Amino acid sequence: MLLFSLKPHCKLTFLVSLLWLSLLVDSNSGFELDESLTYIWPLPSEFTSGNQTLTVDPTLSLSVLGKGGYSKILKEGFERYKKIIFKHASGISLFQKWRGIRSVYDVSELRIIVNSDSEELQLGVDESYALFLAKNDGKPIVGAATIEANTVYGALRGLETFSQMCAFDYETKSVQIYKAPWYIKDNPRFAFRGLLLDTSRHYLPIDVIKQIIESMSYAKLNVLHWHIIDEESFPLEVPSYPKLWNGAYTKWERYTVEDASEIVSFAKMRGIHVMAEVDVPGHAESWGAGYPDLWPSSSCREPLDVSKNFTFELISGILSDIRKIFPFELFHLGGDEVHTDCWTSTPHIKQWLNDHKMTAKEAYQYFVLKAQEIAISKDWTPVNWEETFNSFPSKLNPRTVVHNWLGPGVCPKAVAKGFKCIFSNQGAWYLDHLDVPWNEVYNAEPLEGINNVSEQNLVLGGEVCMWGETADASNVQQTIWPRAAAAADKFHFFSTNTPS
Amino acid sequence: MVVSEWLFYAVAVAALVLGNALAVSSASENSKVKIWPMPASASYGNAQLYLTNDFGLSSNHESQALKDAFDRMLAAIKLDHVIDANFSAFSPSSLLRALHIVVSSPNEQLQYGTDESYKLMVPSPEKPGYAHLEAKTVYGALHGLQTFSQLCYFSITRRVLEVRMSPWTVIDQPRFPYRGLLIDTSRHYLPMTVIKKVIDSMSYAKLNVLHWHIVDTQSFPLEIPSYPKLWNGAYSPSERYSAADAAEVVSYAQERGINVLAEIDVPGHALSWGVGYPSLWPSKDCQQPLDVSNEFTFKVLDGILSDFSKIFNFKFVHLGGDEVDTTCWTTTPRIRKWLKRHRMNESQAYQYFVLRAQNIALSHGYEIVNWEETFNNFGSKLSRKTVVHNWLGSGVAQRVVESGLRCIVSNQDKWYLDHLDTPWQEFYINEPLTNISNSKQQELVIGGEVCMWGETIDGSDIEQTIWPRAAAAAERLWTPYDKLAKNPREVTGRLAHFRCLLNQRGVAAAPLAGSGRAAPFNPGSCYEQ
Repeated sequence: MLLFSLKPHCKLTFLVSLLWLSLLVDSNSGFELDESLTYIWPLPSEFTSGNQTLTVDPTLSLSVLGKGGYSKILKEGFERYKKIIFKHASGISLFQKWRGIRSVYDVSELRIIVNSDSEELQLGVDESYALFLAKNDGKPIVGAATIEANTVYGALRGLETFSQMCAFDYETKSVQIYKAPWYIKDNPRFAFRGLLLDTSRHYLPIDVIKQIIESMSYAKLNVLHWHIIDEESFPLEVPSYPKLWNGAYTKWERYTVEDASEIVSFAKMRGIHVMAEVDVPGHAESWGAGYPDLWPSSSCREPLDVSKNFTFELISGILSDIRKIFPFELFHLGGDEVHTDCWTSTPHIKQWLNDHKMTAKEAYQYFVLKAQEIAISKDWTPVNWEETFNSFPSKLNPRTVVHNWLGPGVCPKAVAKGFKCIFSNQGAWYLDHLDVPWNEVYNAEPLEGINNVSEQNLVLGGEVCMWGETADASNVQQTIWPRAAAAADKFHFFSTNTPS
Repeated sequence: MVVSEWLFYAVAVAALVLGNALAVSSASENSKVKIWPMPASASYGNAQLYLTNDFGLSSNHESQALKDAFDRMLAAIKLDHVIDANFSAFSPSSLLRALHIVVSSPNEQLQYGTDESYKLMVPSPEKPGYAHLEAKTVYGALHGLQTFSQLCYFSITRRVLEVRMSPWTVIDQPRFPYRGLLIDTSRHYLPMTVIKKVIDSMSYAKLNVLHWHIVDTQSFPLEIPSYPKLWNGAYSPSERYSAADAAEVVSYAQERGINVLAEIDVPGHALSWGVGYPSLWPSKDCQQPLDVSNEFTFKVLDGILSDFSKIFNFKFVHLGGDEVDTTCWTTTPRIRKWLKRHRMNESQAYQYFVLRAQNIALSHGYEIVNWEETFNNFGSKLSRKTVVHNWLGSGVAQRVVESGLRCIVSNQDKWYLDHLDTPWQEFYINEPLTNISNSKQQELVIGGEVCMWGETIDGSDIEQTIWPRAAAAAERLWTPYDKLAKNPREVTGRLAHFRCLLNQRGVAAAPLAGSGRAAPFNPGSCYEQ
């Protein structure tokens, strides 16, 4: 039964309603949930379901087993998800419980088994889990709800899936799990499932970054690529070179070292790595607000002055300082969109190029490789945007991870040369391209054009990029979602289905 | 000719000088006092104070609501920053150890007209090391806490919370007792978490009424225990509020000093009622307004209002009454017959319906708010307990108060937030008392409300559609008339500051630039966009 009528306070609505009407007629799926679908996102790699309905106790308790069961990360994760699952008031009264009606609920305990007690969060950490949900039937040995994982991070993924299966039923006012018994085995397809945030074009308050990290965990994304600095502003504190954050927009639009550490530990509690980026030698004009020597000249300010030792001393200082903040093994050195005009047009740099018998292009290579060495000396694996690979592939350090963005076909070339690769083809996975709809995001495939399994293994994964030129705290979340979720499904589950 | 020309120039120059002088004086306050909305009175000095790491609350008034509000305030000023200052480096006389709150009334019941005034002194003139806040009610104290939170900054270089420009004395109270924001959960369902975030953000701008337009043509999301099939009209099984959810919204709002005005809009805008009870429709093909000829209609309305009275304890209930197109009454044979038998034309039937609904609401102890069409059509027949809610245009408030009824101003050309192209400046300059000079009549304008109709907004974009434009109206409704900027340009910097504060507190408030609601055009500082 379709209900439709003209409504007033807004003139647009008639048209909107007509559109909506036609959609409904087309798909007939506006109101009734399609029971044949599995409402878990991203879709787990293996699952079976049945046709029972389980009720979940609002005082759901946690019981843990295994060496990793007593982790704080697990305990806090359980409490977070409990809040999400039980946000509505329950209809079954405590009175019923007091009267001794035991087990009014099918699920009153969630058992989580974590085999390892290591909380180290590194690339490739085991995120697999198995989730089992069934009526207890009085058999005490098998818990009605069990998550088993090798690490706490796998257990967190299992909790996320569990939370998505719990639905508040408004008729009985209880939380229910439909289509039980469930048996789910899940393991992500890629180890690197990233989202880029850009805090240089617009400063993002810490609270907003935390909201985004929280939402990433819902889609099982696991890398926050923090593009901290760019030409517009330098918001991060660097204790060794305290004038750098003079390049912040204002004194309020800054992150202290402690703020950055807080973000990293907030992310870790949710199984999310933070990959920091310091983009050199282009995209670095804001550095010179505090140290004008870094500019080729006061009228020609980018890229960083390749001819000065001070430039590399300072990079080394930044990396030493922030190494203490970012424990993740990958570190992004940028290297994209380097226009060397200021090098060739500034006399002292031109002289230096002559003295060293370098072209501007060779100087770009020299800069990138030197920066790579610094990063490697701090025990980091360098990630660079694809221009570095496109310009001097054989010179890059073999540990380099090539970050694709310009177009398709780059990861196949990079992995053929033995490099690791991250896929971010801008035509599909740049979230600042506001006109790319979610189904095009979904259709992009990180392994496209790579058939050899050992080469496929070199593709670490992919990343959707939320560049900040026209996105700030006011609109960043709806620019990220739901399109980032489309990519998240791709990262997670190998599907040949095309979206409808 | 020459003389008159000279006179013209002299007057023009004098006006220019005078105008500039005024602009300069208020501009200087606007650039120094970064409080939104601007308090009735604020004086300040030039000393710096620092909050100690264990900055706490002391009060003569044992109140959980106050304690919770204090904790929220502290979290809002810390903004997740890590405080690790070296306190031994500060002179002891520059440290603030606690905020002392004196509340004179033990009554914590929030109601229309609850005293919201407060006085804030930082530091306390009597107790060194303390800030001092006094208020008649706990709700005045909540506003004082908001103001205090806006005096505090996290110093990124010293890693400490600091109060600049002390000593501060702020004496403050609102200009209007009713400062509302409408949300519409029928056109799009808004999840509980979103409603709570909106309530939080309202408290930052000292708005005090959440007008909850719960039900409309499109969906009926609320549980009505007396008529349980009504929420069959919800969009989907999960886009619903249980009665317990609604009670939770009310108590969440009250803890923040905000009343909830529930609206059940009759007899138009009620099509969704009939999904569960089709006999409320005139007929299957003509589904609005509610069937005036059917006693069951009024039974259901009585049940709804009876259930409401257990949840919504605000003095007022909103009965709508707008945009009633009576065509279905005259084209449905059964109703046409009924009209004839009762010697009513359809506009009389509309009046009959509204007045009967008013009587039902009165019987449940409510005073009534109705949209202005009811006043425009039969103002003299309305209950004297009616508050007329303006929306169609300007000049209505004037006529309403002349007739002795009370009024809420929401003229759509200025205060409808779903008009995306109305810029914040228009929200700022909209004056509820335009052309009302008699002070008795002025008092009948109880306030105003900005309306966030939900046709094209949902949980994804409601915050940036509300903010910062609602804040512009919030200052109009809070700040004494003489302290309001005559030209909104004077407050741009201070409003941008408040917008950035909202962002820092996790509220997705939009940039000021652009005409109406807009995304940022290009990179830049929050404070300049």
